[in-house]
Amino acid sequence: MSTRSQPDLAARFAEAMRAVQQAARAGETTTGWISAEVSDFVRFNRGRVRQAGTVEKARIELRLIREGRQASFVQTLSGIAVDDRARIAAAFEELRLIVGDSEPDPHLAVSDLAVCRSTRLSSRLPDAQEVCEVVCTAAGDADLVGFYAGGPLACGFASSLGHSMWHEARPWFLDYCIYSGGDKAVKVTFAEPDWRAEAVAASIARARRDATLLDRPPKILAPGDYRAWLSPAALAELVGMMNWGGFSASALMSGQSPLARLKSDADRFSERVHLADDLAAGGLPRFQSDGFERPGCLGLVDAGRFGAALVSPRSAREFSLDGTGATPNEVAQALSLAGGELADGDAMAALGTGVAISNFWYLNWSDRAAGRLTGMTRFASLWVEHGEPVAPLSVMRFDDSLFRLLGSQLEALGRQVHRIPDTQTYDNRSFGLTMSPGALLAGLNFTL
Amino acid sequence: MALPDPAVSAVRKPPGVDLSIRIVHEQNRALGVVRGVVQPDAITMDAGAMVTAWTGHGIGYAASADLSPAGLQAAADRAIHWARLVDARGLFEGVALPRPAARGVVRAATVQQPIASRRELIEQLREEAAALNGDPRIVHWAASVHLSQTTQRQYLDGELVGDESFSFVVPNLEATAASGGRSQTRTLGGQYNGFCRQGGGEVIDLSGLRGGGARIGREALQLLDAPNCPNDRRSLLLAPDQMLLQIHESIGHPLELDRILGDERNFAGTSFVTLDMFGRYRYGSPLLNVSFDPTHAGGFASYGVDDEGTPAAKVRLIEDGMLRRPLGSALSVARARAVGFSFAGTANARASGWHRPPIDRMANINVEPGDSSLAQMVRDTERGVLMRTNVSWSIDDSRNKFQFGCEWGQLIENGELGAVVRNPNYRGVSATFWRNLAAVGRADEREWLGTPYCGKGEPGQVVRVGHAAPPCLFHEVDVFGAEQ
Repeated sequence: MSTRSQPDLAARFAEAMRAVQQAARAGETTTGWISAEVSDFVRFNRGRVRQAGTVEKARIELRLIREGRQASFVQTLSGIAVDDRARIAAAFEELRLIVGDSEPDPHLAVSDLAVCRSTRLSSRLPDAQEVCEVVCTAAGDADLVGFYAGGPLACGFASSLGHSMWHEARPWFLDYCIYSGGDKAVKVTFAEPDWRAEAVAASIARARRDATLLDRPPKILAPGDYRAWLSPAALAELVGMMNWGGFSASALMSGQSPLARLKSDADRFSERVHLADDLAAGGLPRFQSDGFERPGCLGLVDAGRFGAALVSPRSAREFSLDGTGATPNEVAQALSLAGGELADGDAMAALGTGVAISNFWYLNWSDRAAGRLTGMTRFASLWVEHGEPVAPLSVMRFDDSLFRLLGSQLEALGRQVHRIPDTQTYDNRSFGLTMSPGALLAGLNFTL
Repeated sequence: MALPDPAVSAVRKPPGVDLSIRIVHEQNRALGVVRGVVQPDAITMDAGAMVTAWTGHGIGYAASADLSPAGLQAAADRAIHWARLVDARGLFEGVALPRPAARGVVRAATVQQPIASRRELIEQLREEAAALNGDPRIVHWAASVHLSQTTQRQYLDGELVGDESFSFVVPNLEATAASGGRSQTRTLGGQYNGFCRQGGGEVIDLSGLRGGGARIGREALQLLDAPNCPNDRRSLLLAPDQMLLQIHESIGHPLELDRILGDERNFAGTSFVTLDMFGRYRYGSPLLNVSFDPTHAGGFASYGVDDEGTPAAKVRLIEDGMLRRPLGSALSVARARAVGFSFAGTANARASGWHRPPIDRMANINVEPGDSSLAQMVRDTERGVLMRTNVSWSIDDSRNKFQFGCEWGQLIENGELGAVVRNPNYRGVSATFWRNLAAVGRADEREWLGTPYCGKGEPGQVVRVGHAAPPCLFHEVDVFGAEQ
């Protein structure tokens, strides 16, 4: 079996970090935010490999600050030290011209507390051949469709003020479905610190067994209110919608937050709801792209009431608020919902008769200002009678208020909190995750 | 035509392997004025290469920003390694894997007027931003322009397949009005930048940005004071800036052949359309004619050759309501053929950049014009609602049950436009919605719009997509309004 040594991203981009630190001329501040990855990506369809490859990608967001003015330049890095130093130098030259022609920025913010820190987390990753062999062998004749992504992932911040912060890890995940037919499937997002072939194979074997229930004729529901058990993945989707501007100071101050009613105390969630951005528990970077350190855990909802907002340094300046070290886009990266009292094993009995929803799909606001949202059930959502799953559910659309679902309708939260890695890979892989229990709802309003 | 990249010519490969190299350079510039403050200029400079290797029944890829001969050779070696693994464990047994078919396609960026200088653009944005903020109830206002210049060169075994340049322009205005615990947002091109085209300064002129600030601000206030959209079933008149979303979600995505073949079932979803439906399924009323057109000069997703090297051409997907052909790239069509379904495809293998492999995507997916004017459609409607400008979208993973929301609603009663209503939403099922298409607007009322943010694929890819449509009238649609 061939092996491939995993690159050391800190070493690869050390010269780029130094170049940023040394770029400033008199009266200037220079900063650089690096995001880098070497990713193996393997797609599967029908238990075979559909598309496979490697992407080596690194970018640096350079910022030049002079006399209260600033501009930014995102430059792709090649990973070749001498080449990257030249690219960074050329970008700063262009920024000097732009900044000279720019207006003063009243919301300019950069940390003047020069912090040096480095976190490098090691883990065992598979090579390309092992990924393909283990997954295809375990899938056998099952209709497995899914996606493996893994490899070194890093971010770092350097500045002429002396910052040097680096966070590097080697995360991986296998996100997959076992289809039983049509749109019915068991969905699994599997991730552990180290790749273990036997654990991956065991996960797939378990999903294949679970998929047999989906062979039964589906239950078609009429629109209406139904009792519901939301799996941790489904509840994470719901809670994740709050991250779409919900806690953003900028959105809250400019009438665009779906949680404006929570902030103003016009609405509340159940007292069971405690939500935080828990970077420490998630093992995420504790710094952001303006060079500020971030709190290990920031309480966003406390016993159903609004806690802290995500306040970026820029919003802090604009709205005269205390910053909370948020990223520029003011989103939580490790949403953590506290568990409750209901053991996962007792969830079906507590549900009685209703729907057990494994996954939601394509959520969006139907009335953002009021916190009302819509979305679909997906994958292995089941109809349950007297605590026993009896049939898969034909997909249903819900349209309901977040304040109702996590307020008057929230009967219980699951005891076990599950770690659900962020599998989005749109621009690059993510360190993010959601920590969520399941939830028992007295009613969920299906409309179509 | 540019000279061949020397680094490309230097790449070596073993016998029996074909290699394509796609080199992409892109420069973006974002200018904006947000809540009265000129935002710092933000420039992005991106360059890299995607190397694809073909063996007998294997395809592998590797992407790198190291464009030196050594960098491209390392990427090629890695891509070949993957192709051999896929050959042994892949999905393509019995599939005749296609290679890029085009040779030497050259396309220049379509720019009619040069883009104004930074200083002029900032001045224009400042002016419109000030006009947006004409009332204390306006709590957020922004004016922006995003500019992108892209070049892409593709090679197959060192031979030029395509050499193309693009210029993308995306202007927008946005105002949010809030009062009494309620807020409403109105935009020029949608909150997700639906007014987006290839071109130069003429795109900004055509967008209505100049002088648009006062109107957008006024309409945000109008919405704030407007009653809720009614909850009932009635006729629905969709403006082009909502038609774009309706086409995108309930025609474009369901016709993507890779979805139909099951590739996207773990993420973006499957399709209610199956392989046996092409040529015999009634997708909509006889008024529905839908084209795939990557050739229109100003379309946001126009190009000369797709990212698998298939020459671009306009084709009809739905004709007089009947489903004719899928959005299927050369590879997807070959896969369908291997399981017994033969149809012509489209040049729609597209990647979001050098760092992603191509998959089946939309390009410009358009509803062809009919013979009704907007005024006539209003006159012909006894009880309906006009909806403009998408704000919310949700559809099931088979692209069937949908619910969409708009910024702007206006009731139609007895053939006349009436009161403005806020939070207009509607829901339906793709398989039946298009059969209720009752009238299609004329060519002179068609607008070329799109979205910069069409997401799909594993790894994820966000691509630019175009949609041209006239206003269209549908009967018997469930509409509804806000929470309170």
